[in-house]
Formats: sequence, C-alpha cells, structure tokens
Amino acid sequence: MSARGNGSSGLRGRIKVPFDSIELTLGIVFLAIILMLVVFRSQLQTHDPYVGDLLDRFSEIGVNGHLLGTDNLGRDVWSRLLEGIRWSISAAVIDTLVAFVIGTFVGLAAAQSTGWARTILNQIVDMALAFPSLIIAMIVVAVVGRGFWPLTITLGLVTWPVFARIVFAEALTLLERDYVKASKSFGARPLLIMLGHILPGLRPTLAVVLAFHFADMLVAESALSFLGLGAPLGVPTWGNLLQESRDYLMVAPWLLAVPSVGIIYTVVAVNLIGDGLASIARRKGLRIDI
Amino acid sequence: MARISSNLRLLGNFIVLLLGITTLMFFALRATGDPIIVMAGENASAEMIDSLRQQYGFDQPLLLQYVYYLGNVLKLDFGASLASGQEALPYVLQQLPATFMLALFGMTVTITVSVPIGIWLGARPDRTGPRIVSAAVIVAQGLPGFVTALILIQLFVVKLMWLPSLGYADVRTWILPSVSLASFLAPKLIRVIAANVSESMRQEYIRTARSIGMSERGVLWREAFPNAILGTVALIGAQFAFLFSGAVIIEVLFHWPGIGLLLFESTQSLDFPVLQAIAFVIAVLVFVVNSLTNVAFHMIDPRVGKVIK
Repeated sequence: MSARGNGSSGLRGRIKVPFDSIELTLGIVFLAIILMLVVFRSQLQTHDPYVGDLLDRFSEIGVNGHLLGTDNLGRDVWSRLLEGIRWSISAAVIDTLVAFVIGTFVGLAAAQSTGWARTILNQIVDMALAFPSLIIAMIVVAVVGRGFWPLTITLGLVTWPVFARIVFAEALTLLERDYVKASKSFGARPLLIMLGHILPGLRPTLAVVLAFHFADMLVAESALSFLGLGAPLGVPTWGNLLQESRDYLMVAPWLLAVPSVGIIYTVVAVNLIGDGLASIARRKGLRIDI
Repeated sequence: MARISSNLRLLGNFIVLLLGITTLMFFALRATGDPIIVMAGENASAEMIDSLRQQYGFDQPLLLQYVYYLGNVLKLDFGASLASGQEALPYVLQQLPATFMLALFGMTVTITVSVPIGIWLGARPDRTGPRIVSAAVIVAQGLPGFVTALILIQLFVVKLMWLPSLGYADVRTWILPSVSLASFLAPKLIRVIAANVSESMRQEYIRTARSIGMSERGVLWREAFPNAILGTVALIGAQFAFLFSGAVIIEVLFHWPGIGLLLFESTQSLDFPVLQAIAFVIAVLVFVVNSLTNVAFHMIDPRVGKVIK
C-alpha cells in the first residue's frame, strides 16, 4: 500500500479514480446507500423485524404505516429486509475473504515454486476448479447444518481456486518484469519479492476479481438459503425472505418483489464496481480476462 | 507424439480429479455427520443403530472403510441408496437425460437470444439504442436465475395461468425452466459477444476490407462476426458445464426430474451413497464438457494450440 515512488501523484490519483469511470462511480454510490442502510438499520426500522401483529397480516405496500407491507405473520417487511441485508452482506464479505486469502496464497506459492512443487500445486488448483463447488457447498451445509459460519466457511473453501488461477497467471508475468528481476539479482528473498513487488502489482486485477466474486457470493448465499441450506431459519436474509414468499404468491406478491429488488440492486451495484475497475485497469494497459 | 503425451496428461488429470473428488466426498461426509443416526430415525434403540452400522460397514476403522470404498468406486459401485434401496449410480444416471435436456434447451435459448443482441450492441456501441440496451443487460446480469424463475412462475402460472409450472411430460413445462436459465446466462454471453465484435471492428483487417469496398454489412458478418464468435466458444462451454451442476435450484423450483432435484432430495435425507454418486457423475460431466470445449477450440482456431505450446 506504500506510495513510494509515486510521489505526490499517489493521493491525487486515488481521489480522482472513481470519476474516471461512470460505472465505478454509480456502483460506489449504490453500494454506499446499502451500507448506510446496514449501519443505520436500527434507526430506520419502523417495527420489530421478528415480532408480527396477527391482526395486521398481508398489509399491502404503504398500508397501516408499513413501508413495504407485512408478511403472513404481520411482520413489517421493510424492517425485516434491513435486518437481513446485514446478514447477507457480512456473509458474502467473509466467504470472499476466505476464498481470497487461500486462493492468493496458493497462487503466489505456485508462481514462486518450481518443478515438482509447482506441478502439484497447479494440479490441485485444476482439480479444485473442476469441482462442482456449489454442489459440494450444498452437501456440506446439509450435513453440518445451516448457520452463518458453516455457510461462509464452506463457500470460501469451495471457491478459492478462482483466485488461485488468476493470481498464478498474473504473478508469472509480473515475475518476468525487469524491476522484479533486478530485485532478484540483488539477492532479495522470494518472500520479499512476493510481498513487495508481486502482490502490489496484482492489486488492480485482484480488485476486479474481488468485486465479481463478492457479487457471486451474494447470489450463492441467497440461492442456498432459498433451498434451506444457508442462513438459519428465521433470519430474514434475501434467500429466506424469498423462500417464505413462495406460499403466498397469490395473496402477497410484494413478499417476492421486495427481496428480489434487494438482490438485483446490490448485485448490480457490485457488478458496476467490478466493471468500472476493469475498464480503468484496461485503460492503463493491463489485460484483465474475466 | 506431442498429441499422445497431451492426451495422456489429460487422462492423468481426469484420474486425479476423480480420486480427489471421491476422497473429499468420503471424508467430508464422514467427518461431518452420521448417516446411521439419520437412517435409524429418532426412536431407534441402541441395538438397532449398532446392527445398521454393521450392515453398512460403518463400524470398521475409517481408513479400512476408505480402502474398501475406493475399491468399490473402481467397480463403479457406490452402494445402495439409503432412502430408496436402489443402486446409487444407476439411480443417478436415470436422472441424467432430464438434466441434459434442460441444459440443452437452456443453452439453445441463451445462444439464440445472445448472438443477435450481442452483435447489434457490438456493431454500434455508441448509439443511443445500444446504450440503453447495454444498461438493461447490466441490470439483467444482476438477476439470479431462481429469482427470474420465481417472477416467471408468479406471472405466467399464478396470474395469467398460461403455463403449467411443474413436471417434465408436457412440452409447455419446458419453457419456463429454459427461459429462467437463459435469463441468467444470456447477459454474460451478450456482453462478451458485444465486446468481441466491437474489438474486432477496430482491427486492421476490417479497415482493409472496408478499403477494398466491402459493404458495412459484409464487414460485420464476414469479418467481424466469425472472429467475435471464436472468443465465445470457451464461455459457451463453461456455461454448458455450469448447467450440469448449477441448475439445481431451477430443477427444484420446477420439480424437474433431473440430477439437481435428486441432489436436493438427497441432502434432505443425507443419502450418502447417492450424494457421492452425484458428485462423481457431475465431476465426470464437467470434465468431459471442458475437454470437448478445448477440442472444439482447437478445431475452430488452429492458432490456439501453437500459442500455448
């Protein structure tokens, strides 16, 4: 993260970056709104998300002071949505981080090693990439039981090869750069080269992969929760809200619409950030194939 | 010679993949749950549990179980389903045609929709029409397939009552699942085709074609389009492979009698032999589709193999 060698342009560059790309700016604004909702959810909630009024079931949008209506137990959908977003977002952040850390580590190790070690690491990554990862996740969560940690750790553990593959390929090209070779010829340790040269060089690519992976994980969480293999019963995540809506499609279509819009909005926000970062990186002459 | 050695390497990868997946499934399943308890039910006595354990070999040391299990996998014997008593592998394979058909329909709709839209967007990306559609495609990309499916069911089955929602027998029941899958896959394909078309429209050979008097239409279809399609073969292959493992939720929603539905039901009953057979079958399918994609890639574009070597 050091700005050495960049001089004063480092800070200015960083502030200017978002406005280099409409997509990135829009994505950041959208995401900021969601994060505000998460942070100020207790102020914004108009009702207790877990307690319903059975006399006030299936209130339509805007009726009886319910911004987004009520569900089959008379619970306020707006308050439940706010409650669930926090869960879904933190789950996606953690699985993305788990996959990122393992994948980057394996990718760097494979790029650094030679001969047999590299062949074996690459074989492991190839094999892991061919694994039907969501299926493994479904099976593991079915066996371990639903919950925050089983879901997040499992999703992280089955999706890391995405990072490993890209980090490996990028690190190999970076290792051929003159400044890395120079540093090697001075006798710099491999670890120092990895942390000091390769990892910073990977930043633009990693940012893009992180954004898209985060979006994938949001969807994966909602899909698994929808199947009853994700968030614990009762927590109003998007997937659980959609699951609950299924029995009332006739009487209360807004129960389907609200979480759907939530998912689409958030995933679009994150995809925009990914697209924006990718187009900025491409303009700087980096090749990003995702 | 190079051909043989690369085929051997492919075979080696295949064996390592299958060994890896069977090993992972074996230990992951046993580390995380006890199927005997689930099988026996809540009111089972200790003796009953013990006898079941013996019957299924779960009383042996884990390593011995593993060796025994690997031997059986070599014979393609995954044991009998704990739920239905049927042999697990044939049980899974009998669901394969439905999954394959769904993948085929989903992919057909995806390609039919994506190619014209992608080319239209890529040919003139700066005009207003394509810009608006591009924005719509970005939004569509954020729409998970199962959410589309839920909305389609709400609209066409519940509200309008135009289509039946469940099953496999009636051709009309094939429409919604295929469209749901396509709605999820098409935006990505459209964007890649559009990017490829607009990229190849900027190439030197396009300028040459124009300079010798080729019409705009000719330039687009005879020069830019074939080159743009090349870059999408890999994506189409990956999407097809994804459909074998990723259509679970669509199969569940539409009660489509494929591997995904069986997988979901088996996770509910912790049917280990069936789960292991499913993971095995899907790994084989994904590998085969990936290899075929590679072959197709080499056939269409002879440069690929040479660049890599």
